[in-house]
Amino acid sequence: MNSLIPIMVILPITCALLLNLIHTKERAVKILAIIVGIALPIIPLLTSYGLHYFGGHAPLINNPVLAQGLPAFLTETVLNIYHPAITYIFSSAQQLFIFILGIMAFLVIFTSLNETKRASGVYAFLMFMGTAAVTAILLSDDIFNLYVFFEIAALSQVGIIIASNAERSYETALKYLFLASIAAPMLLLAVAFLLGVSGNVNITDIIYSINTGLVDPQNPVLLMACGLLFFGWLYGAGLPPFHTIKSAVYSKALPHGAALLQAFSVFTFVAIAIIILRIFSFIPLAKIFIIVISLLAMILGITMALMQTDFKRLIGYLAVGELGYIGIGLGLGTALGITAGLFQAVNEALITSLIFIGFGTIFYKTGISNINKLGGLMTENPRLSFIVILSGFAMAGIPPFNAFQSKLLLVQASITAGLPELGIIMVLLSIVTFMTFMKAFYTIYLRPKPSDLEINDKDIPKATVISMVVLLVLCLILGLFPQIATSFLEPFAQGLI
Amino acid sequence: MSLYDSIVNKIREIQEISVEKEPVTNLSASAILAAEITLISSILIAAIMLRNINIILMIVIVLALFVALIAATPLMPRLKKEQNDSFNNMIFYVILALALILALFYWGVRNV
Repeated sequence: MNSLIPIMVILPITCALLLNLIHTKERAVKILAIIVGIALPIIPLLTSYGLHYFGGHAPLINNPVLAQGLPAFLTETVLNIYHPAITYIFSSAQQLFIFILGIMAFLVIFTSLNETKRASGVYAFLMFMGTAAVTAILLSDDIFNLYVFFEIAALSQVGIIIASNAERSYETALKYLFLASIAAPMLLLAVAFLLGVSGNVNITDIIYSINTGLVDPQNPVLLMACGLLFFGWLYGAGLPPFHTIKSAVYSKALPHGAALLQAFSVFTFVAIAIIILRIFSFIPLAKIFIIVISLLAMILGITMALMQTDFKRLIGYLAVGELGYIGIGLGLGTALGITAGLFQAVNEALITSLIFIGFGTIFYKTGISNINKLGGLMTENPRLSFIVILSGFAMAGIPPFNAFQSKLLLVQASITAGLPELGIIMVLLSIVTFMTFMKAFYTIYLRPKPSDLEINDKDIPKATVISMVVLLVLCLILGLFPQIATSFLEPFAQGLI
Repeated sequence: MSLYDSIVNKIREIQEISVEKEPVTNLSASAILAAEITLISSILIAAIMLRNINIILMIVIVLALFVALIAATPLMPRLKKEQNDSFNNMIFYVILALALILALFYWGVRNV
């Protein structure tokens, strides 16, 4: 049912608006949020692959009845195949990404409703709005529509940071907003330039214009648009030079909020990188740039993580570093590389969420995120600490977890592409990632408990434990049966090259 | 002065001008040392990829980078100082990145 394609965006937006209206009625907020949260991962599974034209305005070539009465300058020119309406594309890769995003949104909302004393309709509004925006970014084949949702996602993220009420969260949110005021207009300028040179905002039509020579591929305005699109991508994903603010954003949000924020970053990263690869694959520099910036993100993110004393900031930097693995796969530009990169995106979203929620239990019990002030927490809840250490194994790429499979694929792809150095760096940085994680784990859980550390008596909510177990099981399933994910991603990757 | 001492001194120096007051522990010093080694080795391995352009160029650049990086050690405390939460620093690097990207794609693609 292609009519379900827009529902994936409309449903969370409608739910968000309703939650805002009924934010004082706690029970109603919980019920509505849980019902829509459950629906989010189910809808992409029920939706069939295809295109959705908003307003029903399909290209003329698909509508011979309408085309019959129209003049020749419309039906016998390129206008015959152009897309007159906003178009959403739903294929196997989108299905997997939106399914994973839906599961994560549900788990995060489920956790937040149970962890907070009083369910906040406004906070749930922000999470649903962000989820809807990122879903639209994944689906949209219209670059202006993508820009609009890119802005909505950025504003939702700012709201989620402010809602945390953490120390200096307002300051971080304001900085993120200021940086958005530089990056987002640049992205809009890229859209304007693409519209100017091709007369189109539909991505498929822009690619057609370039491939058929209607637009000169060396047109300076087109090249400028490429650069600006890259700049917007760096901001949306939190790649250097935006890695510092992105890690600050994660550290200032509540742990479950940070779990969702990093998922937004991962899927925005993937969506815009795919658009760049689709439109600008004829520029060799584009793929080189993706590899170089990904390497930079990996090296800076992981080495900076090693130096942090705030565990939320540490995970934030690790999340930025892990983005680099996705970029390496996409930048290689081969079918294997793109499949591995996209698989790594799915894995990273799951694992980093698990780590944020897992370490979030420490914050819940102590209200402290500075690892120098923590210690001896293994005795508090040994089972949860076992799940947390398994999440660290997963992030480092230790079998049988999912990141092992995707990182192995990435190393294979780099060797096949004739760049084994990338494989060596990825292995090296995975070892350092594990070391960074173990440093945090040791200081929080294993070393003697500081005498002045106060731990509250509140039990960890069952919803938090359930979310962690579900995420861990998903990591294990994708590690043992990677073909579940790669079978969705391979056809998509083949179509991209 | 050993490499370890110079790293510890550098951390102290940076902490004096930083808002955060953290003690220099064995853990933090060894973490910075590990980060330092990771940074240098990653950059050197990445530079080997220049062999795809020219092997002589690759050898010269790898050797030059090796000497420069070792001479500039410790790098990580400086890097941490640059990548702090100062809005001025953030804006500086964002604008610098924008300028570099546009120069690369606008002039680089057409003229290189």
